[in-house]
Amino acid sequence: MKHDDPKMIDALAAEYVLGTLSGRARRRFERWRSREWHVERRVQAWEERLSGLALRLPPMRPSPHVWSQIEKRIGANAGPRTAPAPPQRASRWQAVAASVALLVVLVGGFFMYRSMLGPQLQPLATLTAQNATEPAWDLSADKDLRHLRARAGAGATAQAGKSYELWALPDNGSAPVSLGVIPAIGEIDRELTDAQRAALRGSSKVAVSLEPEGGSTTGAPTGPVLFVAERVKPA
Amino acid sequence: MAPNAPQNSAAGRSPIAAPDVDTEDLELTRLIAACAARNSQALRQLYDRTAPQLLACMVRILKRRALAEEALQDVFVSIWQRAGQFESRRGRPRAWLMSIARYRAIDVLRSERAELYREAEIEQLPQLVTEGGSDWAGAGRSAAALARCFERLSPDQRRGIELAFVEGASHADIARVTQQPLGTVKSWIRRGLASLRQCLER
Repeated sequence: MKHDDPKMIDALAAEYVLGTLSGRARRRFERWRSREWHVERRVQAWEERLSGLALRLPPMRPSPHVWSQIEKRIGANAGPRTAPAPPQRASRWQAVAASVALLVVLVGGFFMYRSMLGPQLQPLATLTAQNATEPAWDLSADKDLRHLRARAGAGATAQAGKSYELWALPDNGSAPVSLGVIPAIGEIDRELTDAQRAALRGSSKVAVSLEPEGGSTTGAPTGPVLFVAERVKPA
Repeated sequence: MAPNAPQNSAAGRSPIAAPDVDTEDLELTRLIAACAARNSQALRQLYDRTAPQLLACMVRILKRRALAEEALQDVFVSIWQRAGQFESRRGRPRAWLMSIARYRAIDVLRSERAELYREAEIEQLPQLVTEGGSDWAGAGRSAAALARCFERLSPDQRRGIELAFVEGASHADIARVTQQPLGTVKSWIRRGLASLRQCLER
C-alpha cells in the first residue's frame, strides 16, 4: 500500500479509529501503523480527539471472575517474582551452591530481561545544527542495522506542517535512501527494511531534510538538507 | 482550545472520566509504567480504576455482557504486555486504554467469536442522548472542545460518527439503521470527521 498523500493517510487513520475501516484494509492499515511513525502519530491524534465520545458512557462494574481470569493469564508470563530463600541451616557448601544458583538465576533473568527490552543499540550518529550546542537527534542502531532509534534532543524544533526525514547518503554517490520521518519530540524505534539496511551499510554519512508533513512524496529529499553527520565508526 | 472552561460537577463518575484530568493522567501513567516493570499490583489498580469505563464501552459495541467481559480479559492481558510501548507515545493514558478496548471489541464484533454468543442475552442500554443536553460532564476537561465541535456537525454526521464510534456500527449497519444509501452514509462520516478535525484544531 502506497498512500503518500498526508490527507489520505489522515482520512484512513480517522476511519481506522472510528472502526469503519474494516476487513483486509483494516489489517493492512494496522501493519502500516506499526511500521511508520508518521502514520501512528495520526492514529494517536484521532484516538485523542474522539475518545471523549465513549467516556460519556456510565461505567459498568465487571463480574468478579474477570479479574481472576486476567490474573491467571498474566501469571503464566509474569515470571518468578521471588528468589528461592536459602536453607536456614545450610552447610557452607550448600550455601555456596545456593548463592551460585541464585546468581545464575539473576544473571539469566537479567539477560532475559535485556533481550525482552529489545535489541542492543549502539550510537550511530549525532546530528547537530551548525553553531548549535545542543544535538537535534541522537541515532542508535543494533550492530546488524535492523533496528534504528532516533531520539530528538533540545536542538530539534517542530515546525507546523513540516516533517523531518532521515536519509542514508551512500558513499558510492548514488541517490540518498530514505530511512523514514523522524519526530522533533520524543523518540521513535523502527525496523529497517533490507533495502534501507543495505543503503545504510554503504553510507558513512546520514542527513536530515525538511519535508512536507508526512515526508517526501518523491522518494528523494525535496526540502533543504538541514543536518549532515558522519556515522560513528563501529568499535 | 477553550482555556479553563468551567467544569460541571462529575462526582460519582469512574476515575477514568474524572474531571481532574491532569492528576488522573499522571496516576494512570505511573500505573502503566509500573506494569511495564512487571508489577502485577499496578495492573490490579489500573483495572480497578479503568475497567468499569472500558467495559461500558465494550458492552455498547458487543451488546452482550458475557462476550464483552471475555474481551475485557484480552484487553488487560494486552495492556500488561504492551505497557512498555506506552511511554514512547507520550499521549494521554485514557485515550490509549480506551483505544485498546475499542479495537478489541470491534475485532471481536466482526469475528466468528461473536456468533457463539448470538443466543446470549442482549444488554439493555439506555439510548445515547445526542441532541443537545448530552452528558459530557463525565468525559473530562478535554471533552469540552469535542462537545462543542460535535454539536456543530449536521445531525446526520453526528449520528453516523456516534453509531460507528460508540456502537461499533459499520458503514452498512449505519445505512440499514438510517435507511440511507451506503454512499451517502460514507460521505456523512467522511465530511463529519473532516469538519470535526478542522473545528478541533482551531
